Amino acid sequence: MVNYATAAVEKAGVMRGLVSTNRVPLGSEIYNRLLETLYDEAAALDERRFDDWVAMLEEDLLYTAPVRLTRNGPNKDRDVMRTMMHFDDNYSSILMRTGRLSKSAWAEDPPSRTRRFVTNTRVAECETAGEYEVSSYLYVERSRFDVAHNETLSAERRDIWRLVGDAYKLARREIIVDQSTLGMSNLAIFL
Amino acid sequence: MLQKATFTLADGATLDDLVKRDTNEVMLRVMSDEELYKLEMERIFAKTWLLLAHDTEIPKAGDFVVRDMGEDQVIVTRDRNDEIHVSLNVCPHRGMKVCTAEAGNAHAHRCIYHGWAFRPDGSFIGAPVEKEQMHGNRLGKDQLGLKKARVQVYGGLIFATWDIEGPSFDEYLGDMKYYLDQLFCRTDSGLEMLGPPQRFVLPCNWKIPGEQSGSDGFHTLTLHRSLMEGGVMGGTAESIYDNAPGMYGVDVSCEQGHSLRCLEAAQTFKMFSDISFEGKSVEERLAMLPPPGITKELIPQLFKNLSADQVEQLATIPPQVGGLFPNILVAFIFAPRTDGGSSGALALHTYVPRGPDKVEFINFIFAEKDAPEQVKRDMLQNSIQQTGTSGIIEQDDADTWPQIMRNARGVVSKDITLKYQALHGHERPEGWKGGGLLYPGFTKDDTQWNWWMAYYNLMAEA
Repeated sequence: MVNYATAAVEKAGVMRGLVSTNRVPLGSEIYNRLLETLYDEAAALDERRFDDWVAMLEEDLLYTAPVRLTRNGPNKDRDVMRTMMHFDDNYSSILMRTGRLSKSAWAEDPPSRTRRFVTNTRVAECETAGEYEVSSYLYVERSRFDVAHNETLSAERRDIWRLVGDAYKLARREIIVDQSTLGMSNLAIFL
Repeated sequence: MLQKATFTLADGATLDDLVKRDTNEVMLRVMSDEELYKLEMERIFAKTWLLLAHDTEIPKAGDFVVRDMGEDQVIVTRDRNDEIHVSLNVCPHRGMKVCTAEAGNAHAHRCIYHGWAFRPDGSFIGAPVEKEQMHGNRLGKDQLGLKKARVQVYGGLIFATWDIEGPSFDEYLGDMKYYLDQLFCRTDSGLEMLGPPQRFVLPCNWKIPGEQSGSDGFHTLTLHRSLMEGGVMGGTAESIYDNAPGMYGVDVSCEQGHSLRCLEAAQTFKMFSDISFEGKSVEERLAMLPPPGITKELIPQLFKNLSADQVEQLATIPPQVGGLFPNILVAFIFAPRTDGGSSGALALHTYVPRGPDKVEFINFIFAEKDAPEQVKRDMLQNSIQQTGTSGIIEQDDADTWPQIMRNARGVVSKDITLKYQALHGHERPEGWKGGGLLYPGFTKDDTQWNWWMAYYNLMAEA
């Protein structure tokens, strides 16, 4: 494993937007349908319809959230540390998580009230036909119990959505959170 | 019990009012009191040994990570002579942070305010415009270095204390070393931290996770009920209170406040398979269910690095969860993977105070350095899924502690006492080889009470 203190210059740690240059323009049919899919997904999660959410996931799903690290000097831009994550999940572990939520998961019972705001969505075609890179900004407001103060989290999502039949399904998601020390007291919610 | 000098808070409360040694109770107000918090920073966090990092985080000369000892920030560095140093991250000139990054590599740390520079060992190199003596002429250069803490590396874990002349690290560990060796010093190359730690902040006092880490076994049954529902702890959701094999074992503790819960491997094994441990040799048992993080190939290293008694314990009734006083949780847990295999989770947490009502939860995740890459990958994934930010076990803990904190502020509820009255008294199981205070059978409050006694003793010392 690459040591993070001394890691040589590597592109992987650098924050960057879309990889593909085959942009799907705003307002096109594919763009609109993908945006609609992101909105539907946010609604499914905010309304805690986890079965509906799981139905939007591909079975080869990889769902990760690398930690960020405050760095300076020549390494100041290489702050996405993929050697350690807040989420390191696949389809079966996501099913384990959603399954747990239907039982004694006190971290979400009573459940959080959440609003996921999805913006700045950019889409590009992947090399594989029918797959699209979708980069978006995520802002989550989370209300717990009767606490008057919300916990919040901002992040960029880097997704790959795949056209399956007439629906888009999530095959990859990397959540680039903005805080190196999270202010959200746990991640019992999905991002 | 020694009578010691103590303190009196502004409203007249004494340490003996807060920690009631005669009835084994602790007033809930200790979890929110600001005055007490300030005393804790002086009497505990500026005095005792604290875990900061692991040496695999800083393998090369100049590597550093920035961590905290209480609310004092420090730079943990490795110098050209391979020595590890812990220095206060405060420029002696005007108090600016000398290092503004969390990690990196630097052979000199230069303050961005006025340019004073320091070596990885904390010594002063110089200030700009040497000929004009920008660093002044009252103190010699040897007096202008960063303030340094006393350092001890154990099993790769980097500990430090500000109490330069105080108790040695061995005195701090006490009888627990025998058990901790089984976790941290068992293979030739030891443990490796798999990446920078997860860090997150919770709205609660550091002592809430701190006292739970004193081997609170009770909360497993209720708060972590989902483990039983998932079949991880043995038993089922229906039989949680009648049949919970994960609740029986031997809790080990000591007067320094550390503790570990040792759970029988045979019982753990039954959770995975019906094959019996009976009549099996130590070697056979280890091969059937190696401790979390140990592959079959690494088993010979256990015999090399540990005594026969230590290996036998590791194969029979290994330590799995517990804590080191004041703010460390050890989680070396057998945990099944979602694909049906069993690897486990190796994690350590520190609970770093961020004021009387906030704590930073730092999750360090490990694997044995000599384990194959695929095993490290599995350990990482399993540890992330069970512990820390998104871990299904610790999500529940993190949601509970802030509510205890909230209650500790109520003018009436602050005077409620926490009860540590399910006490068993220590008792040595037949044939037990290790030292310390031993509590066999169903988990009880003894180890947590020992945590509070360690707290009491440090807080009583002015």
